Amino acid sequence: MDDLATAPQGPTRRDVLKSVGAAFVLPFAISISPRSAEAAAPVQIGAFIRIDETNTVTLSIGSSEMGQGIMTGLAQLVAEQLQINWSQMRAEHAVGGAGAGNPYANPLFHAQITGGSTSMMGWYTPMRTAAATVRDMLIAGAARQTNTTGWRLGTAGTVTNGTLTLTFADVAATAASITGLPAPVLATTTKFVGQRMQRLDIPAKVNGSAIYGMDVQVPGMVFASVVHCPTLGGTVAATPAKPNRAGVLGVVNLDTAVAVIANNTWTAIKAARDLEGTITWLRPSDTTRMDSATLAATAQSLLTSDSATAFVAEAVGTPTMAGAVKTLDQTYRLPFLAHACMEVMNCTASVTADRCEIWAPTQGQEFIIPAAAAACGLTNDKVILHTTYLGGGFGRKIEVDYVVQAVRCSRQLGVPVKLIWSREQDFQNDKFRPSALIRVQAGLDASNNVTSVIYRNVSPSIKLQRGPSSVTNPEDTGAVAGAKGLPYSFTARRIEHVALPTDIPLGYWRSVGESYNTFAVESAMDELAKLANINPLTFRRDRLADPRAKAVLTAVETLSSWKNTPPTGYQRGVAFLKGFGSYIAMVAEVGKTTAGTIKVAKIYVAVDCGVVINPDQVEAQMQGGIAHGLAAAMWHQATFVAGVPQVRNFSNYPYLKLQSMPTVSIKLVASAAAPGGVGETSVPVVAPAVANAWAKLTNTRLRSLPFYPGTTMGGL
Amino acid sequence: MPTYTLNVNGVNRTVDVPDAGMPLLWVLRDFLGFTGAKYGCGIEVCGACTVIVDNQREHSCKVDVSSVVGKKIVTVEGLSGDVDGAKAQAAWIANQVPQCGFCQPGMLTATTAAMKAGHHGKEIAPEVKHICVCGTYPRINKAMTGL
Ligand code: FES
Ligand code: FES
Repeated sequence: MDDLATAPQGPTRRDVLKSVGAAFVLPFAISISPRSAEAAAPVQIGAFIRIDETNTVTLSIGSSEMGQGIMTGLAQLVAEQLQINWSQMRAEHAVGGAGAGNPYANPLFHAQITGGSTSMMGWYTPMRTAAATVRDMLIAGAARQTNTTGWRLGTAGTVTNGTLTLTFADVAATAASITGLPAPVLATTTKFVGQRMQRLDIPAKVNGSAIYGMDVQVPGMVFASVVHCPTLGGTVAATPAKPNRAGVLGVVNLDTAVAVIANNTWTAIKAARDLEGTITWLRPSDTTRMDSATLAATAQSLLTSDSATAFVAEAVGTPTMAGAVKTLDQTYRLPFLAHACMEVMNCTASVTADRCEIWAPTQGQEFIIPAAAAACGLTNDKVILHTTYLGGGFGRKIEVDYVVQAVRCSRQLGVPVKLIWSREQDFQNDKFRPSALIRVQAGLDASNNVTSVIYRNVSPSIKLQRGPSSVTNPEDTGAVAGAKGLPYSFTARRIEHVALPTDIPLGYWRSVGESYNTFAVESAMDELAKLANINPLTFRRDRLADPRAKAVLTAVETLSSWKNTPPTGYQRGVAFLKGFGSYIAMVAEVGKTTAGTIKVAKIYVAVDCGVVINPDQVEAQMQGGIAHGLAAAMWHQATFVAGVPQVRNFSNYPYLKLQSMPTVSIKLVASAAAPGGVGETSVPVVAPAVANAWAKLTNTRLRSLPFYPGTTMGGL
Repeated sequence: MPTYTLNVNGVNRTVDVPDAGMPLLWVLRDFLGFTGAKYGCGIEVCGACTVIVDNQREHSCKVDVSSVVGKKIVTVEGLSGDVDGAKAQAAWIANQVPQCGFCQPGMLTATTAAMKAGHHGKEIAPEVKHICVCGTYPRINKAMTGL
């Protein structure tokens, strides 16, 4: 976690994943107040589980529910250990924490962050252990309360000694004070784990009662809208006067933006529009590092620069094209991307002299607490952070910018403030997924072995941007995720990253480094298969030794009828990824629209994500990731002209519609391995699978994303 | 400050608003406490703000509050009291549709309005051109087939 000390906006996610430190200690840090057995109030047992008088079991989770179903997945682990009925199970977000001793920090990297598809990886064993401990405490509590022995777990939230049966609620208060039990034995039954349990959050999400950040209502709150400098990096030259409009309460200078506060959101939005164009900004004097055309030219020159300037992420042998029988030398391009969470950035804050209470849709509690504390001159323990449901996160809501703005507004106004960005502000002030220009050189020998690979990714470095300014070669392993350590049998390889200098604010996007490297790798693998004149699926499988990798390719071969001729007018393309602790192979079946553009008819996926907690939710993430990855591949790019972001709303950043969604078929490959991630796995393979199918169909190789840049929605 | 009486989910509510052109979305959310309708784009592209007004779907981000006086407004919070709305909600649960869920109030209200306009099964999808960034499209399509 060394990055935590240096990076104001947090460690790079991939680095966090690497820093699995001390063994996990069951966190029973939260104080337990002993209650009398008669008390009707809910009883908290340890940090995670609360039992109320109706015998409902409520799980508090540190991970953020942003659509991926983690609340339900973790609740399934708990229900399994407690053998309760699913109707007794509830889940909610725990209060946010930061720093040492936070029981809700992901045990994988000891920080309360939801990202990198790590929640189930991190919590699978600790959460089961915590629940089994509570189970044993309830059993011991029954024995102590009745002064009898022979107690064991019953059904439907009970404990029994054969003659007497008590509910969890009956014994919870006594159980909460039990200490000194031996390490619990984990139940390995599969009443809940591996089952298609219904999501706990769905009823509230279909009746409108689910509370997202935007929906928070606090007594006495006022409403803020913000205007950032249209040029990235600009600051407010002078605080503007309060717009002369009824209901406007004030303006707040937020350095890079101005907030207008009003007694309702609509008035705040209109007042913000009044201000637009009237604020004097100090714009950056040099915007060349925030201009798409200039950046593209710089990237091109860095593609062939001396290797001494590059970070060599992986070097095996001495790759050379000199002795190769056939060679590939191609360049792949990927744009900057926006996150476009369905729920724009927003936050509600209530700051008083000695307390800062926050309600936020956040994936980055670890970062928010110190940032908010610093913004109001308080210590971390004075910040109370409530995590709401997130209307999408995708990596954007790990940032603290929008939260700090709300905190500063509330501090200045002295009342609770709900701050909401407009969609235009949201698109223009994103932390953008880095662009990438990737050159792949590869050589085949006479037997079509890939003997040499030289891979260079020229891409803005998130780590460089967030690290200390003295560091010029950031060794950004995140930038080569999806290229480094590939499971393919390349005899010699060199994987390089050259940081493209830019001042465009960068951030993590769903499937991080893999979101760009996998397009280059899996496109290049197809091009190599063509050079070798070998079926691209077989070509991959024969160059993989890992049986799990081979198995997903074989599974998708069967699922997609790969060996059979596709329907007339269609061709199939394949892509593979080992990433996020999982293995995935995807086949896209692609034809042409009447306009001659790409029509994606069907997607087939085989995934091995280790032990499956909820097959239905793995499938949901596959479906969602495909829709996400396909929209990005077809249309998405964030461009910049002299520091001004050009994407303004969904009108020039389109998504699929119900009718343009391809049919998706999914095969979950059974596995006993530890759970891997599923939230990001399917996103990176969509673009190469489609490009590979299109190349087969039309003999035209698409090496640049998106396939249809601009605002015209070509294809599908 | 104009005063209007609005019928939302079958109940009349009187509200003072800053101006007659205030979009229904913000009246519902800030003044009446119906936060089910969401702000997503403000320009009638995403559909997250959709509500039903006299059986028709409307983008509440662009409907002036003054234009819906005397009409029956139904938000996602009121769908359970409507035969078609309740069916749509049940189909959404049976098919485990929502992920983040933020787009779903709009999807559900638009689906209900399409049913009221006589569309059923596969005819509904072309009527609902909303955005779901999470990509729940396959499940929505499936849920609609039974409606
Ligand atoms: S908010 Fe009304 S259509 Fe997007
Ligand atoms: S469920 Fe998240 S946007 Fe649709």
